[in-house]
Amino acid sequence: MNRRAVGLAIALVVTTVVIQTSAFGAGRIQPFGSSPALVLLVVIGCARYLDAEPALLVGFTAGLLLDLLGGSALGLWAMSYTVVVHLTWRARDRADDGPLVVATGVFLLTVLGQSLFAVAATLFGQRILSNPVVVRHMLLPAVYNVILASVVLPVVTRLIGDRRRRGWTP
Amino acid sequence: MFSFRRFDRSTFLLLGLLIISFLLATFDVRAEGAGIGTTMREGAQTLFSPLQRAVSAATRPVVGFIDGISNIAGLRDENERLRAQVAELEAKVRDIAATEARLAELEKLNDLEVPGDLPAVSARIASPGSSDFDQIRWIEKGTNDGISVGDAVIDENGLVGRIDLAFEDSARVRLLTDPRFGVGVRDTSTNETGIVEGQTTELSLKMFQAEDPVAAGDLLVTSGSRFPQGIPVGLVIETASSEAGFALITRVEPLVEMSQLDFVKVIVGWSPLDAGALDEVPAEGFPGGPGFIP
Repeated sequence: MNRRAVGLAIALVVTTVVIQTSAFGAGRIQPFGSSPALVLLVVIGCARYLDAEPALLVGFTAGLLLDLLGGSALGLWAMSYTVVVHLTWRARDRADDGPLVVATGVFLLTVLGQSLFAVAATLFGQRILSNPVVVRHMLLPAVYNVILASVVLPVVTRLIGDRRRRGWTP
Repeated sequence: MFSFRRFDRSTFLLLGLLIISFLLATFDVRAEGAGIGTTMREGAQTLFSPLQRAVSAATRPVVGFIDGISNIAGLRDENERLRAQVAELEAKVRDIAATEARLAELEKLNDLEVPGDLPAVSARIASPGSSDFDQIRWIEKGTNDGISVGDAVIDENGLVGRIDLAFEDSARVRLLTDPRFGVGVRDTSTNETGIVEGQTTELSLKMFQAEDPVAAGDLLVTSGSRFPQGIPVGLVIETASSEAGFALITRVEPLVEMSQLDFVKVIVGWSPLDAGALDEVPAEGFPGGPGFIP
């Protein structure tokens, strides 16, 4: 894995964080009260191609940026994204790259990422699990991510994917 | 036999990052808005806020369009709900004269005036946070405009929240609905005082020494302990009364629609110590509050 791919992955994550924190959320684009977890989708996309260590660092950095620009305690999104990257990286060679498998993976990993954050934040006193719409905030972003995956993952693949693993490249 | 050789480098890195995350969260929670976490947030805000403003400005026209599409399914229900609400309001209009007289009397009795001539800074919402779970808003003004931690944030309907982080050109508003938010309130109908706490989508009211019950529809305003008194906070949803030895607890609907915030006002330069010193009262009162004249 060359440095160019890692640099591109970080640039992609930073760009996505800016979009996530300014275009999505309350008062912005939030169909049916929830918005896509776009940063998580990009992180999953990067983890499909990067080596384990750069992938973990990219996931941790993405989560930490969300922590810094959000309202939760520092480290909670970072923890959640690091675990999601680890699982993505471990699973990527054990399944094929068909659309159904990728869509299922994106759905499950997004739900996992949102759930891990909700549990960790509740343990640190944020009482997110008592939110009556917490399930919606876990499931709807996953549905949006599956829809967006058909657009976002090919872009990630084109930017940092290698020739052996083209996945959803058009 | 246990051996570290079973772990590869990536596993060690994973464990290391998880430990760092845990330590960051622990120290950040313990620091309560100070320490290295705040320094890191200030750095991130300095770097990201110009980019966020640019993206916000570019995407603003799209937001209304997408919002409209997503709401189409709910329009029929909304229509029915509004019809019922109109009927209910028509019934209430008949009692308005009596209610106004009663309110004026209560104001006089309870000294419910709000402090006047308080400087306020208008600010636009820069970012709604980083996820749907966030109960915060970043605004486009900060300490350079006189904003400081603890200032009350309002909009035309009432209390929005308070400033919990303030940097040079940006500040973070902790919303009224955040479970970590609490504010002293007074029931304008009974004059009983209590505490309102955030419950994510609505609020909860606790009164520990209430003698009179609270009724559905009662208006709650700030009592002046932390913020200027008389700022509308919410309407009681369920009638409740206290039983001997137990606190009165009930649900409250915030007056501010948090999902539709665009501009807010930050009341700057007010301290709880000023509460007794301020005699001037705005003739029109706070919007939506007792005595307000549009």
